[in-house]
Amino acid sequence: MITRSILLFLLVVALSVSRAAAEPGVSDTEIVIGGSNSFSGPLAYTGEQITKFGVDLYLRVVNDAGGIHGRKVRTIYYDDGYRPQDSVANTKKLVEQDGVFAIIIPQGSPPVVATLEYLEEHKVPMLFPYQSSPVTRARRYVFQGMTLSDRSSRMMIDYLAGPRKYKKFAALYQDDEYGKSFLAAFEKDLGRFGLKLTAAESVKRGVTDVSAQIAKLHAARPEVTFLVLVPGPAAQALRERQKIGWTDTLMVSTGPLTDEKYLALATDAANGVEGLSLWPDPATSDLQGVKLYRAYMVKYFPKNEPNRYSLAGYFAGMLFTEAAMRAGRNLTREALITALESIKGFESGILPPLTIGRDHETQKQGFWVRVEKGRFTPLTDWLKSE
Amino acid sequence: MRAAALGSGAVVVLGWPWAAPRYFVFLASLIAINAIVAIGLNLLTGYTNQLSFGHAGFLAIGAYAAAILTIRAPLVPLPVTLLAAGLVTAAVGLALGVPCLRLEGLYLAMATLAFGFVVVEAILNLDWLTRGNDGLRVPAARIGPWALTTDTSRYYVVVTVAALLILAARNITRTRTGRALLAVRESEIAAQASGVHLAAYKTLAFVVSAFYTGVAGGLFALVVGFLSPDSFDVFLSVDFVAMIIVGGLGSILGSVMGAAVITTLNDSLAGFQSYRPLVFGAILIVSMLFMPGGIASALHKIQPRQGDRA
Repeated sequence: MITRSILLFLLVVALSVSRAAAEPGVSDTEIVIGGSNSFSGPLAYTGEQITKFGVDLYLRVVNDAGGIHGRKVRTIYYDDGYRPQDSVANTKKLVEQDGVFAIIIPQGSPPVVATLEYLEEHKVPMLFPYQSSPVTRARRYVFQGMTLSDRSSRMMIDYLAGPRKYKKFAALYQDDEYGKSFLAAFEKDLGRFGLKLTAAESVKRGVTDVSAQIAKLHAARPEVTFLVLVPGPAAQALRERQKIGWTDTLMVSTGPLTDEKYLALATDAANGVEGLSLWPDPATSDLQGVKLYRAYMVKYFPKNEPNRYSLAGYFAGMLFTEAAMRAGRNLTREALITALESIKGFESGILPPLTIGRDHETQKQGFWVRVEKGRFTPLTDWLKSE
Repeated sequence: MRAAALGSGAVVVLGWPWAAPRYFVFLASLIAINAIVAIGLNLLTGYTNQLSFGHAGFLAIGAYAAAILTIRAPLVPLPVTLLAAGLVTAAVGLALGVPCLRLEGLYLAMATLAFGFVVVEAILNLDWLTRGNDGLRVPAARIGPWALTTDTSRYYVVVTVAALLILAARNITRTRTGRALLAVRESEIAAQASGVHLAAYKTLAFVVSAFYTGVAGGLFALVVGFLSPDSFDVFLSVDFVAMIIVGGLGSILGSVMGAAVITTLNDSLAGFQSYRPLVFGAILIVSMLFMPGGIASALHKIQPRQGDRA
C-alpha cells in the first residue's frame, strides 16, 4: 500500500518535469491553439459550427497550403456545456497542460467572462470570443469577435429613427443579460433622437408561449417592434402576430437573431421582417470570400450546410492566420498582439475592409435586410457604428 | 496498517502541489469541493433515504453568500466567510426540510428538483445583489496578511476544510445520531418504535447536508472565481447524485471516491466534445452493472478487513 502510493507519487513527479519551450504552443513544426466551447447544452450546434466547421475549415486550407511560416496549426477544443466553472477548468487545462499559444472563439458571455481575468493574468491572447457583452472591449489580451450589443443597437436605431423616420418603438426581449443589455442600449440610443420605448415586454428563457406579450404590445400600437429573442420564441412571436392579424408594425430582429435558423422556424410568418445582418448570406452571397468559403466547405465537409456560425469561425481562422503570418517566423504572443493591432484595411472578401483600433473589435458593421420569400434581401450597404 | 495507509494518504495530499502539474492542483481542489457536497448529500440520501436533486441550489446559495460577503466586507477572515456560507445555506435547508418532511421518494425528488430551479430564478431576479446573468466575479480571499491568489494556496484551504468536514462526518455517523439516521433509512416505523424522533432527525439531516453543501459553495466561489446562474444547472445536481451512487450510498469514503471519479471523468471527457454526455452515461451504466453498491462496497468485497466503513 505504502510502496504503491510512493510509486504513484514518483510517477506524478516524473510527469510534471516541465518541457523547455521558447513560446507556449509554438514548436518548429506546429502552432497549437484551442478553446473551451459549447458542444453540449443550449448552444451546442453553434459551438460545433464555429469551431470544427469554422475555424478548422480555414485552418485546413492553410495547413494544406503549407501552414504558417512552415508550421501547421493544430486546434484543441473542450466541451463546457455553457457552464462557467467548466470553461474555467478547460481554459486552465489548455493553458497549463496543453500549453496552447492562444485561445480561439470561446462562446457565451458567462463562460467567456469567467476566464477573462485568468487569461489576462497569464498574458494569453483571447481571440474573437463569440458573445456580445461589451465587457470584452478594449482589453490588451482580448480581440473581440461578434459585434457588441451596443454597436448593433446604435446601427439599428440610427437607421430606423434616421432615414426611415420611425417614432414609436417597442421591444419584446428575453429576460436575461442578452435581452437587458440590448434594452438598455436601445433606450440610450433612442434618447439621442429624443425618443423612448413605448412598450417593452419580457420573455423568460425557455418559454415558448408569447401570446400575452404580443397582445399587450399590439395594444400599445408601436410602429416598430424589436425582437430581442432566440430563434424558438422569436418564430413563435411572428406566428402569433400573424394569427391575430397585427400588420401595422414593422418587426425587427436584433443582430445575433438575424439568421436563417429562425427564418426556417417561422416560415411564411417571417415575410416582411427586417433586421440588421452582421454577415453576408452564407448560402447565396456573390462576394468573393463567401464563394471561396462555400467551395472549401464542399471540399472538406460536403455534408455540412453553409451557415453564419461556421462562417464566423472561418473568419476567425482567417484573422488568426493573417496576424500569425504578419508576426513572422519568430512567433510570440506579444508579436501576435502587435500584428493584430497593425491590421489596417484588411480585405477578407467577406466583411468590409477591417482596421483594428484601440477597442480591439474586429466586427463593427452590419447591413439592413428584409425577409422576402424566406431569404434575407439586402436593403442597404454596410452601416457604420462609430 | 490502517495508520500507515492514512499517513501515506496525508503525505500525498499535502505534497500534491509540489509533485503534480499545476492544472491538477486546481482539479484536486474541485474534487475536494465536490467530495464535501457528496458527503453532505450522502448524509441525507445514503443515511436517511431522502433523495435530493436540488443540491446545485444549495451550492449556489453558499457560493453567492460567500462571494457577496467577500465583496461587501473584504476584511472578514475566510473561515468566518465559509462558516457564514454554511450557516446561511443550513437555514435555507431548514426552511426546505420542514415542509419536505411530508414527502417521500419521487415526490421529494421533485420538490428538491424544483428548489434547484427556484434558486436559479432567484439569482436572476435579485440582480441588484447577485448581478444576475452578468455573473459575479469573486475577488481573491485573504487569510490574515496573505491573499489567496495561487491555485496552491487555495488548494490547501480547500483540503483543510475538507479534512475537518470528513472528520466531523465520521463522528456524526459513528455516534447515536448516525445510528438513528441509519435506522430511519432502514425503516421509519421501526425507528420510531425504538424511540427515534423521526421529524427531528430527518430535518437534522437536511440541515447538516445543506451546511456541508453551503461550505462547499463558499470554497467553489473561492476556487472558480466567477459565479453565474449557468454554473448551477440541474445537471450539476444530477452529477452530485451520480457521485454518491458511484461511490456508495451511506459511506463517507465512498462519497470522496465518487466525487474523485465523477469529477475526473467529467474533466477528462471534455475533449470528446459532442460525445461527452454519451460516453459519460455509458461509463455510469457499466459501473452500475458491475458495482451496484458503489466503489465503497466493491472495496469491501475485495478487502473485507481493511475496507471497513469509514
